[in-house]
Amino acid sequence: MERGYWIRSKPVYTSLLWHEKATSHLVVAQGQGGMAVLKLFQLMHPKQAITVLYTPYAEADYSKTLVKVVPEGLHILETEQEVLAKLDSVLQSMYMGMRLYIAGSEDFMWSVAKVANKFGVEDAGMMKELTGTLARPIYCVHCKATTHGVTTNIGECSGCGRMLFVRDHFSRKLGAYMGLMIDAESPGELPEIEEIYP
Amino acid sequence: MSMIDIKVAAVEQVTPLVKHFTFVKKDGSPFPAFSGGSHVVVSMNVGGRVHRNPYSLMGSPADTGAYHISVRKQEQSRGGSVFMHENVEVGTSLQITYPVNLFSLAKKAHKHILIAGGIGITPFMSQLIDLNRLDANFELHYAFRSPEHGAFADKLKAICSDKLHCYADSKGERLDLLALLSKQPLGTHVYVCGPNPMVVAVIETARNLGWPENHIHSEQFLSPGIGEPFKIQLAKSNIEVHVPAEMSMLEAIEAAGVDADYLCRGGVCGRCEVNVLESDGALLHHDHFLTDAEKASGKKIMPCVSRARCDRLVLEL
Repeated sequence: MERGYWIRSKPVYTSLLWHEKATSHLVVAQGQGGMAVLKLFQLMHPKQAITVLYTPYAEADYSKTLVKVVPEGLHILETEQEVLAKLDSVLQSMYMGMRLYIAGSEDFMWSVAKVANKFGVEDAGMMKELTGTLARPIYCVHCKATTHGVTTNIGECSGCGRMLFVRDHFSRKLGAYMGLMIDAESPGELPEIEEIYP
Repeated sequence: MSMIDIKVAAVEQVTPLVKHFTFVKKDGSPFPAFSGGSHVVVSMNVGGRVHRNPYSLMGSPADTGAYHISVRKQEQSRGGSVFMHENVEVGTSLQITYPVNLFSLAKKAHKHILIAGGIGITPFMSQLIDLNRLDANFELHYAFRSPEHGAFADKLKAICSDKLHCYADSKGERLDLLALLSKQPLGTHVYVCGPNPMVVAVIETARNLGWPENHIHSEQFLSPGIGEPFKIQLAKSNIEVHVPAEMSMLEAIEAAGVDADYLCRGGVCGRCEVNVLESDGALLHHDHFLTDAEKASGKKIMPCVSRARCDRLVLEL
């Protein structure tokens, strides 16, 4: 990668911090993201209403500590799908002034963002912390399928089987990086496949 | 800057202080289409001096046969609004810029709350037509001094029916911003246009309720205001320009024959921003565009509304 190269569409993630003017807080986290939630509560237990949705992932499970630390509104869920369903139902009764905090993999965070978008919560109103893995969701520009958890510079499309070069070009609407066929000019000729998003 | 030649097709006294002007193109062709919230800059020759004032387009965006603006006669007018009121009549020729929108509706909003104070109603007049066409969820809150100053209230009632809420100060009716902006559904956007204290109150109330910045929209054209005269040096043109008390820096620069960039002329859009190369006094920033840090740095100034109190001010123009 050329040094100094940076593409504007690439999301910038930060550490989660309570928004001081929020009228309520909604924290959604997955796996290692549980640590980001603990760090939040380490900073402060805010006065406003709190809802925390958490699902353990891979080896990372902070459920036991979260139960001790989160004062109210904690929901431990088994899968990402359950988190998204619960999110859909809690958002129904929330108002402007609610601030959304998300921690987890990019796949997870952008799936959460998509549900929030449906309620008119826009990207600028969410705080995101990338945790656990750099694995990327990849959108195939040829067959339009999204392949999740890609850890290599070139990944196989789950939709059409093409070998896709994983770009930095990111779509907030699709919640995925652009992937395009790497061997279109000379079929079968692939550069070395390397893990660069562990 | 390319301009459109227009003539005035109708003038209507709407309230004791507000006149509504209907413009048609001089050559009879249709105007460019525009979106709700757009404004044009009207250029007028007042006693040999060119005034350029921004006014919101308040007609239907679907009607390109005519443009509509409303002008409030300002007590502290430097001449522009008084000229519009006293010298412009049916048949008068004027020039206007192409429409520009610095106050557009948020496309992703699930609900729109429009808050107008007095003549600040004008940008909403065209937005309302867009909102109705899109069948959008909206409320209009319109505050004015007294019923006789509530311009277009009847017309608005017809467009908005129960979505219109009026507040006449003379009747002791107050818009409770905290109550209004609390418990709004997710995806709500708020828009405000009106006098400065109202705009500040809406922005502050929404912020304090945790609303994200991009859900808060405001428009407030400033008139340049009268100040102390001062002198400026234009580095690239290599001339000195005297800025009289009742003229803005931008107007003085234009009068000196230097072509400066501009768009809104009201301290909003940022187009006329110039670099300050040197100054030995205070820059009097009046715009809503530069950040506080930029204002403090003394490196930039918006000549459309800002002034200076110094002996030497060198601009990169």
